[in-house]
Formats: sequence, structure tokens, C-alpha cells
Amino acid sequence: MNRSLEAYADTVGTPVIQQLRALGEILRGHKVVHVNSTSQGGGVAEILTWMVPLMGDLGIDASWKVIRGTPAFFAITKSIHNGLQGKSVSLTKKDWDTYYEVNAQNFSEMKEVLEEADIVIIHDPQPAPLLGLCSNKKGRWIWRAHIDISRPARAIWKPLRSYVEQYDASIFSMSQFAQVLPHPQFIIAPSIDPLSEKNMDLDQRELDQVREEFGLDPDRPLLIQISRFDRFKDPVGVIQAYQLVRKVLPVQLVLAGGGATDDPEGAEILEDVREAAGDDPDVHVLLLPSDAHRTVNALQRLADIVIQKSTREGFGLTVTEGLWKGKPVIGGDVGGIPLQVTNHHTGYLVNTPEGAAHRMRYLLHHRETIRRMGITAREFVRENFLLTRHLRDYLTLFTWVLKGEGRNTIMI
Amino acid sequence: MSVFEIKDCALLRRMSGLPPAFNLRELRERIAACSPDVLYHHYCDTQLAPMTDYPDYRNDFAIWARRRLGDQVVAERLGMIDPYVYTSMEELRQVTLDIIDERLSEAFMVPWARPGHEFYCMQAVTIVFDTGKRVTHPDELPSAIRLMTNGSIYFHVLEARRRDPVGVDDFSAWLQGLGGDWDQYIKAIREIDVTFHTLAEIRNELVEAVNMGSGFDAKGGNA
Repeated sequence: MNRSLEAYADTVGTPVIQQLRALGEILRGHKVVHVNSTSQGGGVAEILTWMVPLMGDLGIDASWKVIRGTPAFFAITKSIHNGLQGKSVSLTKKDWDTYYEVNAQNFSEMKEVLEEADIVIIHDPQPAPLLGLCSNKKGRWIWRAHIDISRPARAIWKPLRSYVEQYDASIFSMSQFAQVLPHPQFIIAPSIDPLSEKNMDLDQRELDQVREEFGLDPDRPLLIQISRFDRFKDPVGVIQAYQLVRKVLPVQLVLAGGGATDDPEGAEILEDVREAAGDDPDVHVLLLPSDAHRTVNALQRLADIVIQKSTREGFGLTVTEGLWKGKPVIGGDVGGIPLQVTNHHTGYLVNTPEGAAHRMRYLLHHRETIRRMGITAREFVRENFLLTRHLRDYLTLFTWVLKGEGRNTIMI
Repeated sequence: MSVFEIKDCALLRRMSGLPPAFNLRELRERIAACSPDVLYHHYCDTQLAPMTDYPDYRNDFAIWARRRLGDQVVAERLGMIDPYVYTSMEELRQVTLDIIDERLSEAFMVPWARPGHEFYCMQAVTIVFDTGKRVTHPDELPSAIRLMTNGSIYFHVLEARRRDPVGVDDFSAWLQGLGGDWDQYIKAIREIDVTFHTLAEIRNELVEAVNMGSGFDAKGGNA
């Protein structure tokens, strides 16, 4: 992606673009380096793909470095990732040594860039030891945790913490994800790109094609949940809610997700979902490839109501996407969903299939409420969860780090 | 005639370092112990902070009491606190504590939140910067306000109340300082109930209040 900031003016308004340019001016010429562990695939790479060019567009000398590692290294960092998310894992001293050594090898290759940077952002745990290796650092170093580390496995967090606590600041996506650390901890929510294939406007012809492709009836209401087949997303609970609604209203349900084939638990859950759906022709269980962004976009736009009935959730960007499509969302009252869904305004928070069914029926009998909530939902996302806000948060943090000197209010 | 300098601001939330509160008594302890910046953030920054969209109440304490403690009584009492009428954060703190103490003395049990729904004490860092834009005459105000970001509206309307002249927004203070007959517009601006509007709504209300197409001549007074 190589869009200029002005490409977003039609979506967010010129004043927002001017605001970013004014903040960028304060930081013009400063060297900012992002470091992560992959250039493609995954949420972090997706963010950096747009963020680094847009920072460059603002006059910041922004660059992106990717650490390289052996399969053994990535197996170790996968365990660290799982441990931070609460899974009981353990690593040997040799594993931690390998983790450090691979970082040391990477450091020698990017030493000059890191030493010269005014700000270094280290994304997630994979490159966390780089700071300790940079004895000649000039700038400020910030650790950015993209994952939920609210309840980490102690065996993993304790050694990792010794690396993280050396940073000048850290960033978490939600306050619930933060850990006690001896430096300032900032909250920066994730965002969506309104011009990406997953969120851009689509014409009616494309929507009709997708509807036809999946055999959806244009004359009956459509409920949709987009998420991987994971127990915490409660796809079976969504089917139960649909079945309660189906008794009184002629609805259709799409459960669409991907990534289950290489995950034994995912395959098992997919089987449970298919069993729960039975031979109902109005329940469409779709296993989509990971790059089916336009299809997901079209399905969300075809839906009357978007569901995200999770029982455990991170921030919940599928909720953001649904709201952006102007749909009310019925979501589980967990993780980041209540930050986005407000009862009677942008959708409903529910705890059970019965609760979800009740709200579905209510909305389907009140089309004007669906329309009104959809407008509120889209404006709420426009204001809070588009990448322009995400970029502004980083610029604010950089300004504070470089010029704040500990003050909470800085007049430039 | 003095010019109106349009400022803008950007806010970023940070953890306060205080442990989260799981019930009303713990919330009281946090409010008693927190810095004025924490108190200010939860009462006044709400409209600028992302992740807040709860139109029924306009401060974080009331929202949490309603949504997570399920205590509508204390939520209603906290929700009606207007932070801008108090001359200091300490006075605001005391009023808040009095309301919570009163509720604790009435309640048969201490209202509590489920794990995952606890209250996190936050504060914000705010960067205030000059947009370089200037308003040289009141008749330019409507178009200038229409193009202001939420950050500018926040700074000139809400944050302005903390600065001299305390309790007054920048727009009406500027009009007052100009001399001339701007009273009708000053009054209209000051009558906007900022507590119950989003920043976008405040912008619209302001534009309406200073819409001078029919009211002002170009020399500084009512036509």
C-alpha cells in the first residue's frame, strides 16, 4: 500500500488530515524505526504496511526492519506468544538462550539504524531483547504489545519482563491488557483501513455476485458472524440463537471464517458447527481463504445484523468492521466489544444465545432502529477506529516521548 | 482587533499506575488516592478519548457504576456532577467521595463488578499545538468552527474552562474582549450545555450560535 494521507480526506474530512500534517510537522525529520518479526501475514505486518509509508508522507524518517530467525527461534517465540496469552507453556534455559542469540545476530545487522534512531518501536515479544543489546542508543525505545497479556503464564512473563521493563514506555491495545511495569504505559486501540479491500465501498453488482455465489436469498434477512472457528467465538451459540429466531422469522445465517485447517482444535470446532447446523439450508458455514477480504466485506454489507457472540475476545476488529459497514452488532460482553457496542446505540451486548436471539428478533421487527444504529455505528468508527486516529495516537506518543519531559500537557 | 488563534490538541490515554477497582468501595479508595490528572481525565477528557460512546452519562465513574456495578442510584448521582462548576479538582474529588460515601452508607451490599469489568484509573497526555489558522473578524467564526477538528473544539470549549478566565470558553471570551455589541452571541455560546453533547454536536451548536449571516455587520456589531 502506498497511498498518500490525502486519499483518506473524503472519508475522515480535511480537518483530520490537516491535524495529522500539523503533528507530523513537529516530528519532521526525526528517525523512527519499527521492528517486528514478519513482513507479511498477521495483524502487525498489516499495520506497518500502511503506517510506515504514511509516517513517511508526514515527513518523518520512518523505516521498518524485520528480524530473521531459524525455525527453532520461531517455535520458541510461538510458545512465548501462547504463554503471554495465558497458555501453560514452559521454555528451557537453552530456549531462552536461543531467543537471545538470534536477537543478537539480528542486532549486529541493524545496529547502526537502531543506534541512530530517535524512536524505536519494538512490536511484540520476538525482538524484545534488542534494546538490551543496544548499548549505544541515542533515542527512546518503546515496546508495543499487540496481544492480550492480561493473564500471562508466569514462567514466560517473568523472563520476558526483564527485557520489557528496560524500555522507556510501552503500548497496549486496551487497559485490561496492560501489566505493571516501571515505565509509562499507553493505550492505543487498533484500527481498520477504510480503503482496504476488507472495508472499501463495493458496488451493488459485486454484492449481488457474492449473494448469488453463496446461494443467499435477497428477500430474507441475513445474520452474519465472521470469525475463525474457535470455541471462544461461540459459533455453536450463534446457531442456537439463530434457531430460536428461525421459529418465528424466516432468517438466514452465515458463519464465515478461515484458518481452521492447520489447527486441530479449529477442525474439531468446525465439525461441531456443521453438526449443530445439521441440514438446514439457511445456515451457511463458509471456510474462506485468508485473503478473501472482498468476500468478507461483501458478506458484511449484505447482512442485516452482524453478530460477534464471543465469550472471550481481544479488541474485536470484526466488530469494528461490522459497525463500519453501517450494521448494528450483537456482541458478547467481553474484551473490546463493550468499548464498541453500546446498548440501544450501536447494537446490543449479550451473554447467552437466548439474549442474542431476543435482540435479533427485536431488531428485525424494528427496521428503523437497524437503520438508525447503523448510522451511529459508522460515525462512531469514523471518529474512533480508523487508521487516521491510530496514526494520530502514535504521533502524540512520539511528541510526548521527545518533548514531554514527564509533563502530561505539552504546549508546542 | 485581536485575532483568534486556532489551536488543536491530541490526547493519548495512559495507565495511572493505580490498581484497578473491583467494587464501589475500591473505586472510592482510588478516587481518594489518585492524582488530579486522573480525576480530570475521567470527568473531562471523556468526550475526546476514543472508546467512549455512552450518551446516557458523561463521566467514566457514572458509566462504570451503571454498566458494571449495576448501581443506577449512584450512577445517576455521579452522572449529574458538572465538573466545570468546581473551582478545583480537590473540590470535585470531595463531591465525588461524598456521593460514594452516601451510597455506601445506604447500600446493603457493596456493588461489585465481574472480573474483566473492573475500573482502570487512567490519565492522559495532551499535546496542544498551533494550527497556524487565524480568525480576524467574528464573521469568519462560523466557517472556521465548521472546519475545526474535535481536538480544536475540545481545547477551545472544554479545556478552556480550566484556563483564565476560568469557566469560560475561548470563543465567547474572545468576542467579549473585542468590545462592540456581541452580547447576543456570547450569550448563545454560553448557553450551550456542553455536558450533554458530543464534540461534533458542540461544533454544530457553536456554528448555529455564531451564525452571523443575519446578525452581524462587518464592522463589529449587530446589523
